[in-house]
Amino acid sequence: MNQDTLYAEMRKAIVDGDGAAAGRLAGQAVRAGLDLLGVIENGYVPGLQRVGELWEQGEYFLPELISSAEAMKAAMAVLEPELQRSQLQARSGGKVVIGTVEGDIHDIGKNLVAAMLQAGGFEVFDLGADVKLERFLERAEAVGADFICLSALLTTTMANQRRLVEMLKQKDVRAKYRVLVGGAPATQKWADEIGADGYAENAVAAVKLAKRLGPARR
Amino acid sequence: MSVTLIELAARRTVLLDGALGTELMARGLPQGACPEAWNVERPEVVREIHAAYFAAGSDAVSTNSFGGSRVKLGGHGLGARTAELNAAAARLARAEAPAGKFVAGSMGPTGKFLKPQGEFTEEEFEAAYAEQAAALAEGGADVLLIETQYDLREALCALRGARRATSLPVLATMTYNAVPRGYFTLMGDPVARCLQELGREGAAAVGANCTLNSEQMAGLVAVMRSETVLPLIAQANAGKPVLGPGGAVTYSQGLEDYVRFVPEIVRGGANIVGGCCGTSPAYIKAMAESLFRSRT
Repeated sequence: MNQDTLYAEMRKAIVDGDGAAAGRLAGQAVRAGLDLLGVIENGYVPGLQRVGELWEQGEYFLPELISSAEAMKAAMAVLEPELQRSQLQARSGGKVVIGTVEGDIHDIGKNLVAAMLQAGGFEVFDLGADVKLERFLERAEAVGADFICLSALLTTTMANQRRLVEMLKQKDVRAKYRVLVGGAPATQKWADEIGADGYAENAVAAVKLAKRLGPARR
Repeated sequence: MSVTLIELAARRTVLLDGALGTELMARGLPQGACPEAWNVERPEVVREIHAAYFAAGSDAVSTNSFGGSRVKLGGHGLGARTAELNAAAARLARAEAPAGKFVAGSMGPTGKFLKPQGEFTEEEFEAAYAEQAAALAEGGADVLLIETQYDLREALCALRGARRATSLPVLATMTYNAVPRGYFTLMGDPVARCLQELGREGAAAVGANCTLNSEQMAGLVAVMRSETVLPLIAQANAGKPVLGPGGAVTYSQGLEDYVRFVPEIVRGGANIVGGCCGTSPAYIKAMAESLFRSRT
């Protein structure tokens, strides 16, 4: 199989959410001694981009997004050990600490955003749901996070997104992090109002937003 | 023998209630607390809200049990109290229901996914809903209302569980997003398939709630009507939540604008209407007046 055909197959495996194929093709690339960073960028990532388009067009829904994210994970599970062996690293979008804020046990949207960020090349630390605000900061400091992503599904708990931003300011660490907010009641206006760095309506938009913003300048 | 809710819906438009959670919060339910716990801890507050909806003109109110499945209550560490909290929910609504009015036992989604996206099996979901349904029936519900479902498979589990555990009529609403190709659930279930499969599984009435505002709901009702002969339910949101200064939550679709689309929702074929997020007894009262005007 020539390289272009292989890339096309990889793209298709992601679009189809076919984890078995995605992993098998990654193995082929390793055995053929291909440039694995190129394989990720030119084979798999275009597949994810296509998945994002299909989602935005209303052709793909949650099950397809999850399958595609899983397929990406299957490919990376094969590629990453090989990259490490050759002292290389997949281009990381940055480190993300993500969770649903305290008082809120809803985690469907947050899980999807975490999966898509991971598939999109971010290193994701998922703290789960009903996460104490202090815990977000502790973890972010511990792992050297670039992004703190806060989910809230309830109008009553979204106020905790504001509280986290205020807490970062109080502790004088606000500039270290990009704070992104999401969840059903959140809006761009809300993000602006509370001084967050961004808002995304869905998981696909969240990946685009995080890539566009990039890590905060230290 | 008095008429049932479904019989009433064949004669005239039946009016349900509006939001419950926000009414509880307005009366002091703390952030993150389990609303169903108040069925036992603060029953007078729950009753007061049901009474307000009946006074506003609701033919039926839905019980304070939206998150009352064992799976969801488990998130609050209250799974062991599933039967108690659901039976209490139904009793509180029953106690406030005037003669000839109805109690709908609310059953919202578990918040978890079935395999392969999640960890649960269909049997586990079906058992959880059966347990909740039995308790709601025991507490005196007239019908069961499976609502705000975003996964048709889960809704079918709920329907099977409810019908296995009780002989009550079961109503089922899905929540749909408007996408370029039409209306779909989060999981991608199209309207026609949802209505057909819920009907085949024995739902007494089917429809949609949440997510969409009343103008969008009017559009969806017309689509749904062409896909089913069952009584049709429509409960729209009052737009999107907006957090004002000081943390007060309002909704983007005001009362007048919301109610403006009620006649279109009814003309489009809805037989059972009510509110969802952002609505209050005031919205229901205005809907009752709108329905009354269109009747006379």
